[in-house]
Amino acid sequence: MTTPTPDDPFRDPRSMGAAGSDPLDVPAAAPTEEIGPDERAHLGHLGLSRVGAEELLRVEDLHVDFPTDDGVVRAVRGVSYSLNAGEVLGIVGESGSGKSVSSMAVLGLLPKSARIRGSIRFRGDDVLGMSQPAQRSLRGRRIAMIFQDPMTAMNPVHTIGDQLAEAVLSHELMPRRKAMARAEEALALVGIPQPKTRLRSYPHEFSGGMRQRAMIAMAIINSPDVIIADEPTTALDVTVQAQILEKLIEVKDAVGAAIVLITHDLGVVAGMAHRVLVMYAGRAVEIGETDEVFYNARMPYTAGLLGSIPSLEAQDASRLRPIKGAPPSLINLPTGCPFSPRCPLATDICREQEPALLPTDSMGHVAACHHWDELAGVDDPTAFFRSESEASR
Amino acid sequence: MLAFIVRRLVVSAGVLLAGTFLAYCLVALSGDPLARLRQDNTPGVEDRIAEMTDRLNLDTPVPLRYLQWLGSASKCLVPFAAECDLGQSVRGQDVTFLLGNAVSSTLQLITVATFTAMIVGVIVGIVTALRQYSRLDYATTLASFFFVSLPLFWFAVLLKQYVAIDLNDWLADPTVSLPAAAIVGVISGLIWASAIGGDRRRVWISFGIAFAATAGALLILSASGWFASPGLGPVVVTVVGGAAALGLTALLAGFRYRHVLYAALATAAVGAILNLALDQVLSDPSYLTLIGLLLLAVAIAGGVGYALGGLQRKQAIQTSIGVAVIMSVTIFIDRMLSAWGNYFDAVDGRVVATFGSRTPNYDGGTWGNLLDTATHLLLPTIALILVSVATYSRYTRASMLEVMNQDYVRTARSKGLTERTVIVRHAFRNGLIPITTLMAFDVAGLMGGAVITETVFAWQGMGFMFVTALRDVDPNPAMAFFLVTGLAAVVFNMLADIAYAYLDPRIRLS
Amino acid sequence: MITPGDPAAPAADAQGMTVVARTQAQLVRRRFFRHRAAMISLVVFALLLILSFSATGIGPIPGWWKHDYTTVGSVVEGGSPTLSVVPTFLGGDGMHLGDHPFGQDNKGIDYFALTMRGTQVSIMIAFIVGALGTLLGVLIGAAAGFFRGWTETILMRFTDIIIVMPLLAIVSVLANRVGNAGPFWLAVVIALFTWTGLARIVRGEFLSLREKEFIEAARAVGTPAWRIIRKHILPNTIGVIVVSATLSIAGAVLLETALSFLGFGVKPPDTSLGRLISDYQSAFASRPWLFFWPGLFIVLIALTVNFIGDGLRDAFDPRQNKVRS
Ligand SMILES: Nc1ncnc2c1ncn2[C@@H]1O[C@H](COP(=O)(O)OP(=O)(O)OP(=O)(O)O)[C@@H](O)[C@H]1O
Ligand code: SF4
Ligand SMILES: [Mg+2]
Repeated sequence: MTTPTPDDPFRDPRSMGAAGSDPLDVPAAAPTEEIGPDERAHLGHLGLSRVGAEELLRVEDLHVDFPTDDGVVRAVRGVSYSLNAGEVLGIVGESGSGKSVSSMAVLGLLPKSARIRGSIRFRGDDVLGMSQPAQRSLRGRRIAMIFQDPMTAMNPVHTIGDQLAEAVLSHELMPRRKAMARAEEALALVGIPQPKTRLRSYPHEFSGGMRQRAMIAMAIINSPDVIIADEPTTALDVTVQAQILEKLIEVKDAVGAAIVLITHDLGVVAGMAHRVLVMYAGRAVEIGETDEVFYNARMPYTAGLLGSIPSLEAQDASRLRPIKGAPPSLINLPTGCPFSPRCPLATDICREQEPALLPTDSMGHVAACHHWDELAGVDDPTAFFRSESEASR
Repeated sequence: MLAFIVRRLVVSAGVLLAGTFLAYCLVALSGDPLARLRQDNTPGVEDRIAEMTDRLNLDTPVPLRYLQWLGSASKCLVPFAAECDLGQSVRGQDVTFLLGNAVSSTLQLITVATFTAMIVGVIVGIVTALRQYSRLDYATTLASFFFVSLPLFWFAVLLKQYVAIDLNDWLADPTVSLPAAAIVGVISGLIWASAIGGDRRRVWISFGIAFAATAGALLILSASGWFASPGLGPVVVTVVGGAAALGLTALLAGFRYRHVLYAALATAAVGAILNLALDQVLSDPSYLTLIGLLLLAVAIAGGVGYALGGLQRKQAIQTSIGVAVIMSVTIFIDRMLSAWGNYFDAVDGRVVATFGSRTPNYDGGTWGNLLDTATHLLLPTIALILVSVATYSRYTRASMLEVMNQDYVRTARSKGLTERTVIVRHAFRNGLIPITTLMAFDVAGLMGGAVITETVFAWQGMGFMFVTALRDVDPNPAMAFFLVTGLAAVVFNMLADIAYAYLDPRIRLS
Repeated sequence: MITPGDPAAPAADAQGMTVVARTQAQLVRRRFFRHRAAMISLVVFALLLILSFSATGIGPIPGWWKHDYTTVGSVVEGGSPTLSVVPTFLGGDGMHLGDHPFGQDNKGIDYFALTMRGTQVSIMIAFIVGALGTLLGVLIGAAAGFFRGWTETILMRFTDIIIVMPLLAIVSVLANRVGNAGPFWLAVVIALFTWTGLARIVRGEFLSLREKEFIEAARAVGTPAWRIIRKHILPNTIGVIVVSATLSIAGAVLLETALSFLGFGVKPPDTSLGRLISDYQSAFASRPWLFFWPGLFIVLIALTVNFIGDGLRDAFDPRQNKVRS
């Protein structure tokens, strides 16, 4: 466990400057004004870039089921979100909450056994209804993906250059030489030294961090509109993580892409994302501006997540306060709120009715909780979890 | 790479030495060559015992005898050495002489078997992996279990007793009846429909087309008397070339950009023209000419691919060469079949051979002799490769399924590559790596299998020689068998290692 | 940051699904019983065992079948089989065994008795080979994988040496000599050459397990080597071993019958399925049943054992229930 330092926005959302005074008032579906350069300073040293007015991606009521021997795994159960040009949307949630599955559905990368319902629109076009070739021409060209483990995500038998050039050549007919030149540029952009000679290297000759850079280069090589980054730094050294994220933001701006950033690390989201979507048991349970969600969580699960990060402000309780218990089985979901077995605020209604995702007290901030107003009534929502676990000691 | 090969060579040589020593001791232990003579009471038997003891070096202790044997055997490594000496048989023949013919006919058998098994097995494995849990998949799984559970000798005898006789009887008056054509058509329809897959409509369409094509072709061929005097002719050669061009282009490059297709079609056209133009040369060429022509075809195809490939030069060259090889094989078969009538008469209509590796006293020119070899190879090869085909297909299937689940295949898809590229360039290329290891093992297995097949079909190869030697308690020919198979195993192991290193860049450095 | 290593959520598995805790053995059993081909094969094989061992008896214990596999008798109806399975209402002879269901050989010996005896011998040899070969393979592979160093080098080179020689041929050489000593020694000789594959696999498993943390922990606290092997490593390799042992039985049946067919295996007066085929090969044209019955039984044994092995492999293979995350 790394000890957080005061000036490390990756680690502690609360250490950030005067956030909240000027929330980026971008409701889920209606983009409004852009932030000026002067406002960027207080958003942490990575800086948040502009959010465009154009809506790129709209996912509505997405469901994904996997029939298995033991029953139907309901991995995603009605997720909706939208993404604007240039925006960074963070998706957080425990392992198995459906983050990867919901984003892979967007690219059509799920195994054949998956049953997908709902609608996914890219620039208004229905992705799920598209022909195979049309879907393929989106993949890697308009929407690119960065995967978690750079060790296994690259083909060990082809050179880095070939794998990058291939991404270009599959969408555009051009001489290999030119594609290689593009690959070289992309490698240079992500900060790989001597990109020309590195084109001929194989993935195993790269370090983990370099490979992830190469993966980023592969994702941006066609200047996509959307990059989906699925835990891009989880497999990396802590020291490399920051560099990679910084690079990601830098190249995102260079090619003008929006990012869906999937992560376990709330600190990363706090420093980089305009908005956050919290997932639990296959559903979105809270969506809103990053600062809104982090300072005014309206769903106990989110509060619990925040409570499990080491906090500087709460010096007195420097221990971790994890959420007790395990997420429910996705095969036999209990009735009612899926979080109710672990929730300190749970009442009878929670065990009977699954709460819908509804607006809360602030603009563009929605949460799925029967008792969100109770959270609104306290200063530090994470305290619910603290008092619980402290009491049990 | 060179250091790697050298190190492998040294290790292999050590293994081979130790292996031959072990085999030598075991063979020496296995029986006394003099036993029969010792029971003999005829006068002069003493002399014969002494003579044989001397000839086989029997009064030297085994380890020393091994060294002496090794000493003279190692002279065989010197190219063109006349002194190559592997000892003598109990009957006094030079083993090197016995071995000469045996090695080449066994190598023929093993080579044909290895290539057929590998090609058929790998294709079946890939198709069943891509159509996992389809009926085709279940059927081939069942079939491969059956094949590996089938005793080779039993199956070989069955082939010999039933298939050969029935096929030859049928060839005397070859007609396909309507029901027979229908049955074969249904089988072909089922296989194609299952392999192509897709929704219900597509399955029915594939089934219908495959059924009609197969049954129709059989009936037409039967009615036109094709089975009585089979042959392909320039038209079929041309059609096969065109089909190969389309098929390989679909497989290796797709039709999105036309350059590859044009190159492949041009190659097919050149092949068809050359087939006619070289009619004279092809009527009775020497083996060397044949090899030269194949190389020429590949070279021309490479040139055509280079010239017409445009932006997809690499794929164009690969595709054209593939087309050239397929056409060459077709022309080869065409020419071989041209000797059919002559051969049919020479063997009194018993075309499918069950005895030996060639018809004694038959000389039908290059093509006639090749046809003769082919008819002799047919049944032993079928018997020999059943297990190998099953193993290759299971292995390939498992390997492909494993690879298709790898992260890098998902990455390849996320780049927007076509499914064809994902499978050919990413999945298959990686799935191939473990198959190279299997190849080395399989050749050793085939050598063992050859012992049985050669015995059943009286194929005068090394297996036959070995069994005879063992029955006669004749150590030197038995040893020669181990020497050759050991060498072959070591060589194939090395080839597999090199192929592995070539296919997997992670190995190259270490 | 959230869940990994989270001490308060020990019940969550990697997939985020709460799974009813089952022991490894229960899981394996459940998966095996679900494998239909393996279950059918298990039943068929068991019936085959019972039939062959009870029909002609074992050693001094007599069997229930009226004929003996050595008694010469008069040849009835050219020795053709009297077994009939087509019921009368389908136009057949009705379902009955008759006096010589599998027919008779040219000396009038009952062929059912002979086939049963052959099956017995072939199965016995195969089981001895399976047991002995597995033992050798595990011992050698374990020693090489656990002790490393020169032990490993020597053992693995030795394995290589045996692997370069065609199995059938090298076994023939020795089997030819010991065949007269009886089926047991034949089995021993076969086992001496069939352990190599398993040794390699076991060594590989050991090498990878050696590096695992729980083994290192055990070593660190000074647990003796044999105890680590027995307590920690063997339970983790048991799946591979069981599967390989099963498949080696199927292989041994085929190898023994092939040897006997070539004349290097079981020697008269005893018989085996391969020996029967070899003996009556020449009578093929006139009396094909002498050829078919033993072949059918070889296929049955090999096929059922192979399917059982496949079922076990599926049951033990942990990749089975792995889902991508
Ligand atoms: N192919 C599949 N078949 C069956 N279930 C699947 C499949 N793929 C994913 N799942 C299940 O779907 C659920 C959601 O998985 P997902 O990978 O989206 O989780 P995640 O939020 O990305 O978790 P992590 O943080 O561990 O990556 C999990 O319970 C997983 O077991
Ligand atoms: S709905 Fe009830 S159980 Fe669910 S999160 Fe809200 S308070 Fe907790
Ligand atoms: Mg994930």
